[in-house]
Amino acid sequence: MLAPISWLKDYVDINVSPETLAKKLVGIGFEVEDIIYQNKKATSVVVGKIINVEKHPNADRLRVTQIDIGSGVIQVVTNVPVEGGETIAVALDGAVLADGHAIKRGELRGVLSEGMLCGLEEVGLSAEETDGQKAGDILRFEEGTPLGTNALDALGYDDVILDVAITANRPDCNGIYKLAKEVAVALSTECRDPHIGYKTAGGDVNDVVSVEVKNSDLCPRYMAAAVKNIRIAPSSKLIQKRLRAVGIRPINNIVDITNYVLTEIGQPMHSFDRRELGGDKILVRTAAVGESIVTLDGKKNTLNDSMLVICDAYRPVAVAGIMGGEDSGIKADTSEVVFESAKFARDNIRRTSRALNLRSDSSARFEKGVDFASQELGLKRALTLVYECGAGDIVDGVIDVAVDYAKVREIPFTIKKLRDILGCNVPKARLINILQKLGIAVRDEGGSLVAVVKEDREDIVGVNDIAEEFIRVYGYRHIKPTLFEYAALTEGGVPDGVKVIDKIKDTLCACGLREAVTYSFTSPQFADKLRLPADDDRRAAVKLMNPIGEALSVMRTTLAHSMLETLAYNVTHFVSEAALFEVARVYLPHSLPLEELPEEREKIAIGAYGEGVDYFVVKGAVENLLDAMNATDVKYVRSAEPFLHPGRGADIYVNGVKAGYIGEVHPDVAKDYGVDNFRLYIAELFADCITADALERRKVAPFTRFPVAERDLAVVVDEEVFASDMTDAASKAKAKDLVGLKVFDTYRGEQIGEGKKSVAIRFYFANLERTLTDVEINQQMDAILSALKRKVGAKIR
Amino acid sequence: MKEKLDNIKAAALREIELASTTAELNNVRVKYLGKSGEISLLMRDMATVAKEDRPAMGKLVNELRNAVEGTLIAKTEQIAELEKQARLKAEAIDITLPSSAQRLGSLHPLTAIRRELIDIFTGMGFTVADGPEIESDLFNFQLLNIPKDHPSRDMQDTFYVNDNIVLRTQTSAVQARIMTNAQPPIRVVSPGKVYRSDDDASHSPIFNQFEGLAVDEHITMGDLQGCLTTFAKKIFSEDTKVRLRPSYFPFTEPSVEVDVTCSMCHGKGCRVCKGTGWVEILGAGIVNPAVLDMCGIDSKKYSGFAFGFGIDRIAMIKYGIPNIKLLYENDVRFLAQFN
Repeated sequence: MLAPISWLKDYVDINVSPETLAKKLVGIGFEVEDIIYQNKKATSVVVGKIINVEKHPNADRLRVTQIDIGSGVIQVVTNVPVEGGETIAVALDGAVLADGHAIKRGELRGVLSEGMLCGLEEVGLSAEETDGQKAGDILRFEEGTPLGTNALDALGYDDVILDVAITANRPDCNGIYKLAKEVAVALSTECRDPHIGYKTAGGDVNDVVSVEVKNSDLCPRYMAAAVKNIRIAPSSKLIQKRLRAVGIRPINNIVDITNYVLTEIGQPMHSFDRRELGGDKILVRTAAVGESIVTLDGKKNTLNDSMLVICDAYRPVAVAGIMGGEDSGIKADTSEVVFESAKFARDNIRRTSRALNLRSDSSARFEKGVDFASQELGLKRALTLVYECGAGDIVDGVIDVAVDYAKVREIPFTIKKLRDILGCNVPKARLINILQKLGIAVRDEGGSLVAVVKEDREDIVGVNDIAEEFIRVYGYRHIKPTLFEYAALTEGGVPDGVKVIDKIKDTLCACGLREAVTYSFTSPQFADKLRLPADDDRRAAVKLMNPIGEALSVMRTTLAHSMLETLAYNVTHFVSEAALFEVARVYLPHSLPLEELPEEREKIAIGAYGEGVDYFVVKGAVENLLDAMNATDVKYVRSAEPFLHPGRGADIYVNGVKAGYIGEVHPDVAKDYGVDNFRLYIAELFADCITADALERRKVAPFTRFPVAERDLAVVVDEEVFASDMTDAASKAKAKDLVGLKVFDTYRGEQIGEGKKSVAIRFYFANLERTLTDVEINQQMDAILSALKRKVGAKIR
Repeated sequence: MKEKLDNIKAAALREIELASTTAELNNVRVKYLGKSGEISLLMRDMATVAKEDRPAMGKLVNELRNAVEGTLIAKTEQIAELEKQARLKAEAIDITLPSSAQRLGSLHPLTAIRRELIDIFTGMGFTVADGPEIESDLFNFQLLNIPKDHPSRDMQDTFYVNDNIVLRTQTSAVQARIMTNAQPPIRVVSPGKVYRSDDDASHSPIFNQFEGLAVDEHITMGDLQGCLTTFAKKIFSEDTKVRLRPSYFPFTEPSVEVDVTCSMCHGKGCRVCKGTGWVEILGAGIVNPAVLDMCGIDSKKYSGFAFGFGIDRIAMIKYGIPNIKLLYENDVRFLAQFN
């Protein structure tokens, strides 16, 4: 909220600097986001009087002027056709204009110029924001304006404005007068009441209009007053200046008064031209389904039965609290006005405003909540202003249709309870004093106290609120840090789930991978980019109703897309190699559209490219990870993932369940991501598929103290036979002392034959009790060979 | 004969002397001590020596043999040593060449800070919990005293999936879940991703929050201040000071904003803290009794405090990261700085 300090001073004496005031307001819970010095929009632009004009000796279109700036006379060269005797604005040497442009003394075509004549643009204003200055011209002031005055001051821009953030619990402070009450508390001084005082001119408001409220839950109070013999005119200079200071354009006295009251009291008002209230009636009701109204902004709104409208005897004339109808504006020939000062339910205003996409200063204010105390104050303040500026003749009486409401709320509490909440001493006298300053009376009932809260503080409902009111004024510095002085000891600690994720990340870091963190939402194009088939489950992604943009509009079902984008980002940003991982959730809906919360599963993605990176490097990281997770039953099966190279991808099965995949990215897919100069590698695993035994501590197994025998065997098999087929067959052969084996060489060549390969395997034999004999080892090697012959068609070369 | 022996000895010793490799030396050995070597032949020639001279002669030949052998061994060792020296010299490497070992990877700074935070709070008796990121309006808002169409919803720009399901805007949603499922004493922190429809130079639509909740009998604002002071000292530095300012959050009452002394200038005032010496880092307060009651905890018996802050913000302050977007860009040249 913008609060001009001069306006606040109507209600409270402020004898401190704006900075000090800001600090004090922050101290009691009102964050001051900015302190705006109106006259600092441009610096060193002052009022001057042209005392002499001569032609420039070297340029026909330039003039050399002598300008009296109060403290002396300066020479300014200008192309503006000015004449002697005019009072104008001039930027001096060292001035900084509103657009940041700096003015320096210098020579113009050989003649010294010590400044520049300024117009609206140079001081950052538009013609509407001033009283009579013209766009495209220099600023001109009345004769007699003190020379040397800051030009902005002379234009009436001499205020200091606080931009105060009003928290959602204090809607009652959204008004200059309301904020002034808090300023008074911050400065330990008193706040004056708004001036109410007007004379009426006879008649009876009830003869002008009648008010009926059908939906009192949505409109708990509706007040109205009437003014006849309206004399439309511009508002006073002061009202115009103040409205401009808070960013409102002055229109005419009647409209300005409603805006002034909205700003000052925080009560939105509406003024109806009596001619538009057919049947001299105001009816507040919900709209009929399909009923429509064209609003002031020319927009046609189709309404529903949850929306509140103001109607005359025949039709809606305004969307309640939000915007008047097309013809509802005050016109030059308006002669009778009915003022509305009402309270509308904030949640309903909010819903309607959003549903119709219709916003106004009034709806913004109602959404925050307007208290019961404001309607009467606002209406009477408006009538006072009408009276003071002679805008019309006030008809006797006001209409007040209101539900019964509690004028005060009583909250019993004890000082001990306050102490329990705050953990600091609460001196009783100080407490009572603070609450009274805040307008909360305190009744002492022996053991306990009763706070009597007025209607404007709807936020105060319990003892915690009382505690806050006290401490924000008393000061948080009085609270001393304690560490669970009276509470029970708790054991704390990290649950297994967190430990497992930590272990995954640590393992992958040890494998040389760097952790990435990418956005959880992505483009719906991801599925096409990954070439997922139409029936792939991963196409079922949760969609956001209000995404930032299409590219961030669905919740990801796979980490592959983000990982490929991240790799591509690095490739296109001249990074020659990358080895990354991410551990993050995917969001898997049970059905779409979403009826219940989707399943969220943690996934691990690995991505890499660059010199020396190949399938087996990435597989190495996966193997290390699976080892760290104590996963022993692991199988790699050729993968059909559409985004992988058809011959270089594997599905990874752990304990018989598909946990994920690993492979080289299909070159066409890589190209789609913008990469054609590197082979990309990727792996993705469901964490829960590999972590079942992650934290298990296995008992130590015995190992042999006797020599380990090695035997090598080279056999020829068909090209299609996987190394894992061979090692599986060998492991299951009748070879009880076989303790290990590894494929250490594969050879293809003419001697081997087309479609064949020779695979060399090294076997390790050992026994816990003794050294094995050659005979024993040879027998077992025979068994292994025959198993290889039988199961994978192996032949000795 | 003696003369012959002397000649052989002189010749052998000279040849040993001249030999410079193991192979040459071996040749000398064969020539003199081999089966048909000159000295071996002398023994065979012994038959031709007069019987009475044989002992003396034998002794001389043995002496010759020992002398040659001894010299040979000494020379062998000498050559072996030289050859070893030569080999070691030849084996010298440039010990500054880069290693071929697998280099270490790195944790993302958000993970590193998150672990540090968890470590601090588990030390104060907190445990760790998380909940769904796609969350019901009930847990994210309503149970936290933020009814539908309440103006405080404007404090957070929410991503909606539908009218009742949102992307959680705060990990407080986890707190609501815990309170509806457990009874005090509760002391839990919930780190995790949160989402707000805010995307500009200083905001990321996704960021990471770290929230804490303590509910028990006799929990006070002083405990909150103590807990946060401990946290601030540990995460920033021992001389860090904490300041509470009144504020508003729907789920806490009283509510505070918490400032800490700027870790760059230690409170003197610098660019980071805009000259104030203080940096705003978190919001906190005493759990609103209405929230306790809605979650099924008796607010007459129990009280609690809650706090929440952005892990991203702490990471940015601690590592001097100028722009939050860097955290989610995953440029390797950025990630590689967090070893």
